[in-house]
Amino acid sequence: MELIKGVGITKHFGGVKALSGVDFKVEQGTIVGLIGPNGAGKTTLFNIVAGAFPPTSGTVHFEGVDITGLPAYKICRRGVARTFQVTRPFGEMSCVENVAVGVVNHQPDASRAVWTQRAVECLRIVGLEGFESTEARHLNVVQKKKLEIARALATGPKLLMLDEVLGGLNSQEIQDAITFIRNLRDQLGLTILWIEHVMGAIMQATEKVIVLDQGRILMNGSPEEVVNDSRVIHAYLGD
Amino acid sequence: MTISLGESRLKSTPKILLCLAGLAVFALLPWTMGVYNQHVLIVCLFYTMMAASWNLLAGYTGQVSFGHAAFAGIGAYVSGILVVKAGLNPWGGVVIGTLCAAAFGFLVGLLCLRMGGIYLSLTTLGFSEILHIVINNEYEITRGTMGLQVPGLIENYSKIAYFYIFLAGALITLAVVYRLVHSNAGLNFRAVQNDERAASALGVDVVRTRLLAFTVSSALAGMAGALYGHYMLLITPHLPSLDQQFLVLSMTVIGGLGSFVGPVIGAFSLEILSEYIRAWGEYHVLVFGLVALFVARFAPKGIVGIYKAWRGKYRAATA
Amino acid sequence: MFAIASMNGLVIGVIYALTALGVSLVVGIMNVVNFAHGEFYILAGYFSFLFANALGMPIIAAMGLAVALVFVFGLLVEYTLIRPTYGDDMYSLILTFILSIVLQNAYLFIFGPYPNKPPGWIKGATNIFDLFFYGNQRMAALVAGIAVIVVVFAMIKLTWFGRIIRAASQDRGMAELNGVNTTRLNMLSFGLGCALAAAAGVILAPVFPVTPTAGVPVALTAFVVVVLGGMGSMWGCIIGGLILGLVENLGAAYLSTGYKHVFGFVILIMVLAIRPSGLFGRKEA
Repeated sequence: MELIKGVGITKHFGGVKALSGVDFKVEQGTIVGLIGPNGAGKTTLFNIVAGAFPPTSGTVHFEGVDITGLPAYKICRRGVARTFQVTRPFGEMSCVENVAVGVVNHQPDASRAVWTQRAVECLRIVGLEGFESTEARHLNVVQKKKLEIARALATGPKLLMLDEVLGGLNSQEIQDAITFIRNLRDQLGLTILWIEHVMGAIMQATEKVIVLDQGRILMNGSPEEVVNDSRVIHAYLGD
Repeated sequence: MTISLGESRLKSTPKILLCLAGLAVFALLPWTMGVYNQHVLIVCLFYTMMAASWNLLAGYTGQVSFGHAAFAGIGAYVSGILVVKAGLNPWGGVVIGTLCAAAFGFLVGLLCLRMGGIYLSLTTLGFSEILHIVINNEYEITRGTMGLQVPGLIENYSKIAYFYIFLAGALITLAVVYRLVHSNAGLNFRAVQNDERAASALGVDVVRTRLLAFTVSSALAGMAGALYGHYMLLITPHLPSLDQQFLVLSMTVIGGLGSFVGPVIGAFSLEILSEYIRAWGEYHVLVFGLVALFVARFAPKGIVGIYKAWRGKYRAATA
Repeated sequence: MFAIASMNGLVIGVIYALTALGVSLVVGIMNVVNFAHGEFYILAGYFSFLFANALGMPIIAAMGLAVALVFVFGLLVEYTLIRPTYGDDMYSLILTFILSIVLQNAYLFIFGPYPNKPPGWIKGATNIFDLFFYGNQRMAALVAGIAVIVVVFAMIKLTWFGRIIRAASQDRGMAELNGVNTTRLNMLSFGLGCALAAAAGVILAPVFPVTPTAGVPVALTAFVVVVLGGMGSMWGCIIGGLILGLVENLGAAYLSTGYKHVFGFVILIMVLAIRPSGLFGRKEA
C-alpha cells in the first residue's frame, strides 16, 4: 500500500520552474532514495510534501488523505517528519528540550517526566547520550544532524524524510549510518524517503530510487536499474 | 544522570527557601521607610509586572510588541471608566480591564501574527497611536490630557496596603510567566523564538503559540495598568504612551531579555535610578535611552547575561 | 472643499510615498524595519532650519546639505547599531525603537519643544482652475516630491546599483553567491533609506514645521503605506502613499479632523484582515 503519493506536483518561484509535473509514490515500509544533480528540485519536493510551502499545482496524498497545502505543523502531526539539509537546531535550548518540542506536539498532555524520558530515549537511539543538557549550538555538524533525526523521531512519524544526513561522515561512519537507517525501518517500522548524494549508501540501503533532473522525474526503479541507466549517468556527468 | 531543564528552574530546596526568605524581608521593607520610598517600591512593582509580562513575549517567543503600555492603558481606562461612569466596584473594574486587554490582545494578534514578527511590531505601534488619538478625542469620557479621576481600591488610602496589593500583582504575574514558560507551551515558545520553520516542522502551531503568548502578555499588562490607575487615582494618556513603552522595553533589555529575573532587576534598578536623577527633568529619558542602546548593542542579554558570562569565567578559572 | 482636500491629500500622499520608499527599500534588502525612520525625517528638517536660519545658507544648499548629512548619519547608524544584528530581526526592531526615543529626546534637549520651520522657497498662492487658491509652497513641495521619486525610480531601474538592489531584495543568498558585497550593500541601502526620509523632511518642513515628536505619525503612516503596498514593493509605496494621503485628508474634511490619523490604521486593519500581503506583495516569503 502506498503511504504517500504525489501527482503532477509543479512549483514556480517567480519565473523559475523548480518542479514541473512530478509524480511519485512511496510504498509503506520501504526505504526510497531521492537523487538528482544539484538544483534538480529534491529539497523543493521535500518542502512541498512537508508543507513548508504549497505547490503551484498538483496534489499530495498521505495515507489516502489529501494533505496538499496543509501547514507544516498539521502535516507533521499526521505523521510526516523531516530533517533539514542545513540543520536548524534550537540553538539556545538543550538537546533534551530540542527533542521534547517534537514530543509535546505529538502527545500534548505529556508531563515533564514523560517527555523527558521520551526525549532521552530518542537521543539514545541516534547516539547522542551524554549530550542531554548540552545546548544545541555547542554540537558539531554531525551531532546536529543526529539531533535533527532524534527530533523527527520524537514526533512519532510514519514517514521519515531525511535530507542529506551523511554529509561529513567517513566511510566507517557511513556504514554505521546505513545500518542505523535500515534499523529505523526494520525495528521502528518507519517508511523512509531519503535525499542523498552518497550513491554507495543509496545503493546499499534503498529498495527503490527516484531520480529528479531539472524539476522532472527522470526515472525510478531499483538501485541497480538506476545506476546503469544511461540517462542518469548523463544527467550526473553531463556530456 | 541529572538533566538540567531550563535555565532558571528552581531545583533545590535551599534555593526555594532562600527565595522565600528574601521575599519575606522584602515584604517587611515598607514598614521601615517613609511614604515617598513606599511609593517608589510600589512603582517598582508596577514596572516589574510590565517588564516581566513584556519579557514573556519578547524574551521567550521573540515577538516585539510596542503596544504593551497601550494594553496597560486599556486595562486602566476600561476599569476607570466602568467604575466612574457605571459605579462598578474597582476590583471588578480591574478584572474586566484585564479581560478587555486580553480580548484586544487576542484580536490584534489574530490580525497580524500569521504574517510574522515585523507585522506585530508595526501593528502594535499603530494600535498604541490609535489608542492615544481616541483618548484625546473622546474627552467627554476619558477627560483627555487632564486625566480621569478614579477611586482607589481600598476605602482608607494607605501606601502599605497598596504595596501588598502590588506585591500580590507582581507575584501573580511572575507565577503566570514561570508556569507558562516551564510548561509544554513554554517549550513551544522557545522553539518558535529559536527557529520558526524548524518548530513548525516538529508540529508546533507557530501562529497559535505566538497568539497565546501575546494574549497572556497583554492581559498581564492590562492588570498592571488597571491596578496602577486605581493607585494613582488619576489615569492620564501618559500611561499608554510610547515613553512608557520605551521604559518597559529598556528595563527588560537592561535587566536581561529572556531571563526570568532580568525584568525584575531591570524594573527595580531603572525605577530607583530614575527617582535619583529626576532632578534632571525630562532628560533622564535621554540618559536611559543611551544606556539601553549601549546595552542592547553590546550586552544583548543585559545585566543577567553579563553576570552569567562573568560567573562562567570565574568557574572556569577556579575549576 | 473636496478639491482642496484632494489637493492636500495629493501633496501629503507624495511625501508619504517618498518616506515609505525609504522604509520599503530597507525592508526589502535587509529585512529590517527602521523604527527611527521618522526621526531621520525630522533631523533633516532641523538641519535645513539650522543651516538656512542660523547660518544664513541659501535654502536649496541647506536642504542638500541636510540630506547629505542624514545620509552619512544613516551610514553610521547602520555601521554601529544595525550591522551586528543581522540574522536577529528582533534586536534590530528593539535597537531602532530605542534609537527613535533617544533621538526624540535629544531633539527636545537641543531644539526645545517648539515648532521650527525653515524658510519657504516661494511665496504666494496660485488660483487652480478657478476653483481655489493653493499655496505655492505646497505646490513646490508636490513637484519636488515627484522629482525625487522619479530620480529614485530611475536609479533603481537604470543603474548598476539599482540592479543589485533589485537582485538582493529578490534573493539575498543568490546575490551573495554572485559576488555582491552585501555588507556594503546593506550600509548603502540603509543610508539611502534615511536619505529618502530626509528628502521628505526637507521638502515638507516649510509646510509642516518640525517638533521633536512630529516624526512619529509620519513614520507610522509610512509603515502603513508599506504594509498596504506590500512589503518591499516600490509601486506599492507610490499607490499606497497616495491612497493614504487622500483618505486621511478627505476623511479629515468630511468625517472628523481629530481622527485624521486613525483612518490610516483602519486601512491597515483592513489590509491585514483581507489581503495581508498588501496590494503588490508577493504571497510567499
